[in-house]
Amino acid sequence: MNDSDQQQPSFSAQRRRVLLGMGAAGVALAGSALSCPAMAASTPAQVTEAPSSDKTQDLHDFHGQHQSGIITPRPAAGMLVSFDVLASDREDLERLFRTLNQRISFLMRGGPVAEVDPKLPPPDSGILGPVVAPDNLTITVSVGESLFDERFGLADAKPKRLMRMAGFPNDALEADCCHGDLSLQFCSNTTDTNIHALRDIVKNLPDLLLVRWKQEGSVPPQAPARAGEPAQSARNFLGFRDGSANPDSNDQGAMSRLVWVKPGSDEPAWAAHGSYQAARIIRNFVERWDRTPLQEQESIIGRIKTTGAPMGGQHESQVPDYPQDPHGKLTKLDAHIRLANPRTAQTEKNLILRRPFNYSNGVNKNGQLDMGLLFICYQADLEQGFIAVQTRLNGEPLEEYLKPVGGGYFFTLPGVTGDQDFIGRTLLNATPPKTSV
Amino acid sequence: MKKSPLAVLLTLGLLHVPLSAFAATSPLELVGPISDYKIYVTEQLDELASHTQQFTDAVKQGDLATARKLYAPTRVYYESIEPIAELFSDLDASIDSRVDDHEKGVKAEDFTGFHRLEYSLFSENSTQGLDALADGLNKDVKDLQTRVAGLTFPPEKVVGGAAALLEEVAATKISGEEDRYSHTDLYDFQGNIDGAKKIVDLFRPQIEKQDKAFVAKVDKNFATVNKILAKYKTADGGFQTYDKVKENDRKALVGPVNTLAEDLSTLRGKLGLN
Repeated sequence: MNDSDQQQPSFSAQRRRVLLGMGAAGVALAGSALSCPAMAASTPAQVTEAPSSDKTQDLHDFHGQHQSGIITPRPAAGMLVSFDVLASDREDLERLFRTLNQRISFLMRGGPVAEVDPKLPPPDSGILGPVVAPDNLTITVSVGESLFDERFGLADAKPKRLMRMAGFPNDALEADCCHGDLSLQFCSNTTDTNIHALRDIVKNLPDLLLVRWKQEGSVPPQAPARAGEPAQSARNFLGFRDGSANPDSNDQGAMSRLVWVKPGSDEPAWAAHGSYQAARIIRNFVERWDRTPLQEQESIIGRIKTTGAPMGGQHESQVPDYPQDPHGKLTKLDAHIRLANPRTAQTEKNLILRRPFNYSNGVNKNGQLDMGLLFICYQADLEQGFIAVQTRLNGEPLEEYLKPVGGGYFFTLPGVTGDQDFIGRTLLNATPPKTSV
Repeated sequence: MKKSPLAVLLTLGLLHVPLSAFAATSPLELVGPISDYKIYVTEQLDELASHTQQFTDAVKQGDLATARKLYAPTRVYYESIEPIAELFSDLDASIDSRVDDHEKGVKAEDFTGFHRLEYSLFSENSTQGLDALADGLNKDVKDLQTRVAGLTFPPEKVVGGAAALLEEVAATKISGEEDRYSHTDLYDFQGNIDGAKKIVDLFRPQIEKQDKAFVAKVDKNFATVNKILAKYKTADGGFQTYDKVKENDRKALVGPVNTLAEDLSTLRGKLGLN
């Protein structure tokens, strides 16, 4: 999160609150200045007064070469939902994509909800009120390998690297939260906005989509960056800054190289401008982690916990100098960040764009907290990206504190280019409709 | 990052209120179907009472095999008229509560009725110590008969019952949670579906007058569900256990069930009921 536009309003809002607080003290001292308008403004808020936000009208364009929600700055609330597609034929599948297109386009833009005869169930859940605020919402549509099975005649159009996620050695995958025909990634300022969008989609597609699994997560807001200093990454539930080594999402060259499937690549032509989505629900054993000495935590991760700097460094943005540390005296050779990104010319092609959220689900049977990381990353090449990175991480010391339990691989569809286009159109057009038998 | 022009949309008065989408259905038109429905419910309750007698007799005689055989075909009558039965919440709890409704689980004193008997018959394979539970169920069912006989059927409960039955299916039948010890969920599934279909059939002329396409869509989804359920019928007119239902059939049931739940939720409104 280094978008200074985003930092600015919250900074001034915070400043305003501070100023108002001082104002209240000043008025109290003055005693009898009852008619002062500042008095009313500085009355302490009621318990029930809702937190206020000046970002509820922030919105992203649904149309574009790429879908939003990938290089879009990650907001505070994220949710990944995987679905089984219930469509029974090609026609139904097209209706699914067109309806999704219509709902997402409305939800991301916002607007008044339809009103109906009050004798009927309302078409909208109403949880955002009669006028839906876009609230920075993005909904990103991806498809799983299973959508390319015999049902819809899409087999010939399957992206080359799309596969069913196979368990890694440290995984303990739970069937109920793995895979799926289609995934929707919801990102917005609040959990409620994401839930509103999900309920809208569930209500509008009862015969075509069945929720298979869902995981919500959050990103803790950071204090505004100090003038002249880069923004700092949010912390995960291990207490470490997460995403420090992410490629620059404003660098179009890097994104084109690392994230987007390029026209003319060995992928099917329809897939150009799409991306691969790897999602993982990674449980963290936080009690055990919290009982681990600080220096051990830091050597396992390879960063200083307070600052996020690499070992021996001062700032999060510093790049570790592994050639100067060939035997791992400073940063252990099996430290998480060193295995994940060895910073060599050969491993440049393995860089991925991470977009994770912290999740907390409740309590396990043993009384330990069920929480961890909803890991989501995007890459142009699933094998060179996530799979290569995770394979390097296999056996890392951090595994003692992690247990991936769910997730899946999906292909994020190319963007919707305009009103005549709809999500999934290039995929449908790339394959002849299945002849009915 | 852009700002949305919502404020503008609002001031342009885009919020108009269509007052009523439907031509009014005269309350008189509903009298016939509602009294027909009461006849149906009464018949189902008569069946429930006589089957419950046989079922509980078997339990009390210690005839485990017969009791197990009669469990599902008995309660199916209750499932088909649940919207009316549920109007008496005390009886609904004592006749049909599930183990999850009780914090103390199977040990809860007030866990009685069909599912408590199901637990002993199918999980403990025993009829021991069930006499009081069997008598209680019999008494409760007779009580329900009496109370329903004296009940004026509220039209909105009758028409809304179709949707309520589909909610039952969507919430507990699809997951196989209803009859977790006997796995006879398909009986209940069919009972709920038949009960909902009955309501649609009784009000068919009135609904068709409002929305013909709607009735066709509802019929199609009922037919899809019934076709899948029929695949699991056994020679004796019963059903296979729910664990036999193939994964693709479970999924194929979800779409039509959820769509029926959505569609039937508009039925009261379509008939102008509050």
